[in-house]
Amino acid sequence: MKRSVGQILGRAGIRIPLILWTIAVLYPIFWMFLGSFKSNAEIYRNPWGFPESFSLDNFVTAWTNYNIDTSVFNSLIVTVIGTALTLVLAIPTAYAIERIQFRGSQALFLLYISAMMIPMVLGWIPLFFLLAELNLLDNIYGLAIVYAVSQLPFTIFVLTSFISTIPKSLEESAAMDGMSPYMVLWKIITPLSMSGIITVTIMNAIQFWNEYFMALIFLNTSDNYTLALAIDFISSEAQYTNAWGTLFASLVIAIIPVIVLYAIFQRRIAKGLTEGAIKG
Amino acid sequence: MVQSKKQKYLFLAFCLIPTFILFAVFTLYPLFSGLYYSFFDWSGSSQNKEFIGFANYIKLVKDAIIPNTIMHDYFLVVTKVIGIMILALFFAVALTQLKIKEAPFYRIVFFFPNIMSVVVIGILWTFIYNPSLGLVNSGLEFLGLESLAKPWLGDETWALPSLVLPSIWAGIGLFMLMLIGGISNISKSYYEAAEIDGANEWQQFWKVTLPLIWPQIKISILYIVITTLNGSFIIVQVMTGGGPNNATHVMGSYLYQQAFVQYNFGYGATIGVMILILSLLTVLVLQFFMRRDKIEY
Repeated sequence: MKRSVGQILGRAGIRIPLILWTIAVLYPIFWMFLGSFKSNAEIYRNPWGFPESFSLDNFVTAWTNYNIDTSVFNSLIVTVIGTALTLVLAIPTAYAIERIQFRGSQALFLLYISAMMIPMVLGWIPLFFLLAELNLLDNIYGLAIVYAVSQLPFTIFVLTSFISTIPKSLEESAAMDGMSPYMVLWKIITPLSMSGIITVTIMNAIQFWNEYFMALIFLNTSDNYTLALAIDFISSEAQYTNAWGTLFASLVIAIIPVIVLYAIFQRRIAKGLTEGAIKG
Repeated sequence: MVQSKKQKYLFLAFCLIPTFILFAVFTLYPLFSGLYYSFFDWSGSSQNKEFIGFANYIKLVKDAIIPNTIMHDYFLVVTKVIGIMILALFFAVALTQLKIKEAPFYRIVFFFPNIMSVVVIGILWTFIYNPSLGLVNSGLEFLGLESLAKPWLGDETWALPSLVLPSIWAGIGLFMLMLIGGISNISKSYYEAAEIDGANEWQQFWKVTLPLIWPQIKISILYIVITTLNGSFIIVQVMTGGGPNNATHVMGSYLYQQAFVQYNFGYGATIGVMILILSLLTVLVLQFFMRRDKIEY
């Protein structure tokens, strides 16, 4: 009996750290949303409480005076082109590595996979000059290509494991019917691995939308800034202008798409990230 | 598949070559030419590129800031591994072993920071540490501990430890889910057997849960180490930029400063080579020490 009393107490006690961590995670995020409705004066007066009124002034200022409209657009372009290009490049390679027998397929797979573990910082210096030579420096399309290639290893890795679950008999009977391998890839493999394609696309999209450091190195002019760079710029300016409200509004703009994707695809994202980490 | 050899190779080429060319141009070539650049004194323009042999490496060894950046990186590695693993393990066990109805809610909430942008995390936490408005100092004042309040990120001693908390905050969810995956694969019969033998919950944790999820723990630790050594500079760049007085510079942020702020591209590449070597060595050493065999009962 003594033990079960202890257990009951333990059950209640175990919730305390869980609730505390929930607050630790959610409070800063809520607070960021609340801050985006406050005026700068109010942020100083009452930094951690509820706003007196829900004004959208900060959003308007960020959108019009701080070029957030341009950078949202740039981030969208980089994200969409980046994810699309990743898929176009990764699906055929994943299929060939998984299903077609050729010498060196295992070596090629290992080469792609090992790139996931290599620190890319070293490569960023030569990449900077390479992009300059190709006229792709300070260019969001150049950045989209760099992003796409940077996510290739992860994407190929996830897609090969998805493609391996498709029964071989489907391809074989299609080939019997005279379907070309190109059509098999397009009409059979791609639709059947759609679940994997959606998973990697969401994860790549979040990755590209959030990315900061490569954008910092490869983009210079504010007209080409992605959202992460624009926010970083507002943040360093806010040290002097104290435009905290604008800063919060732009943080909210950056995080809303991620929250929406997470709300819809929570299971997929969690599963994709954990599996990517476990097998990688 | 019935098709001629030629057709097969054409299809293979179609599948593999365009992807490989882009991968080679934008990943392999930069890595190797990074190694090559580390033997040059180079400020960015092609005229001023001078082969200087190992001079950059000699400079690296003599640079008084380098040992500090290495220490800072490994400080972050060690504190993050300890902090994340203890909390993630605790939460994973709590959410699986004790039947808590709202467990999915905690899982969803704890994981969310993992997909937030480092910029958002960094700026949020910079504000939490803000000397006059920040939550940390306000909290200390509220508890009557004003004497402990300080400009956390502006203090040479406290700036680096202050970066650990945001990293743990943002990292826990992923590793908690990985460990939960391991725990839920453990057959219930082990716990029943342990209970019959009179093992209490604490003993069950040490004797059953922990050995059986060792593979997941190992992978988690390796993953934290790799991502920290290869990417800790991002949060450093956002939150402190390496300051105050280089107190938070890690290898990557120092590379960025040398190459892209001061235009010592050759020396920057040398720092990059050092990062590459150290991170590969660390992974090898870790794998050697953690190669404890998987336990099967």
